[in-house]
Amino acid sequence: MADEALFLLLHNEMVSGVYKSAEQGEVENGRCITKLENMGFRVGQGLIERFTKDTARFKDELDIMKFICKDFWTTVFKKQIDNLRTNHQGIYVLQDNKFRLLTQMSAGKQYLEHASKYLAFTCGLIRGGLSNLGIKSIVTAEVSSMPACKLNLHFL
Amino acid sequence: MTVHNLYIFDRNGVCLHYSEWHRKKQAGIPKEEEYKLMYGMLFSIRSFVSKMSPLDMKDGFLAFQTSRYKLHYYETPTGIKVVMNTDLGVGPIRDVLHHIYSALYVELVVKNPLCPLGQTVQSELFRSRLDSYVRSLPFFSARAG
Repeated sequence: MADEALFLLLHNEMVSGVYKSAEQGEVENGRCITKLENMGFRVGQGLIERFTKDTARFKDELDIMKFICKDFWTTVFKKQIDNLRTNHQGIYVLQDNKFRLLTQMSAGKQYLEHASKYLAFTCGLIRGGLSNLGIKSIVTAEVSSMPACKLNLHFL
Repeated sequence: MTVHNLYIFDRNGVCLHYSEWHRKKQAGIPKEEEYKLMYGMLFSIRSFVSKMSPLDMKDGFLAFQTSRYKLHYYETPTGIKVVMNTDLGVGPIRDVLHHIYSALYVELVVKNPLCPLGQTVQSELFRSRLDSYVRSLPFFSARAG
């Protein structure tokens, strides 16, 4: 599908563009991830406005999470989240076994150290979406084996 | 019926990928020299074919064969050249080479931000998918024919 390739290539260029304009060092790596995450935040805010303009209000947090895992993920990545776990006290773990932005990279351990750069934007996307739905949160991602990834949401 | 080896070149002559499955005899020269030789030959044959063609050229150079093997050639508009050596029992495989380009190279290398274009492909995923695709081809047999 043309639009999927467009977003993928644009996202890849964004990541390498942010990193090219920074210098070497651990601090810079963190700053670049923050920049990407903030970009995703603003995009997520806008996207959620657009996607929910015709839906009813959400009953509770779990309902919001289900929306993110099903409709939101399908609209952005053409598939649903594979696994959602929660402790019902504000911590949610989303698992995607074939994350769209990572499937082309590797199927295992190669390039693992670069994976977090490509997840920063998506973390911001979720955080922005949740913030416009009235939830402050912290979103982090971990990748142990490509292309599966886990997103940890912590509601504040 | 079998596949001997496969080369992928870009438009500048850089060998992006090489894999072999059944190759009983090596060229006797270092790999770098071999790639340059292959690319130079393809370049010359292509321009020869277009100059000397007695009719209007449609697809240009497609394949050549010797008494032992057949070399198949596929070139894309962006200058990516896919070259596969098979044995003689294999017919035209343009669609196979096209699949290698579109479903494997474009998907796994062009769309991979960690694979810089114009350099040899390091992606393990590309290597393994290509290998399993070639092994699954109907004219590939595990024992050299």
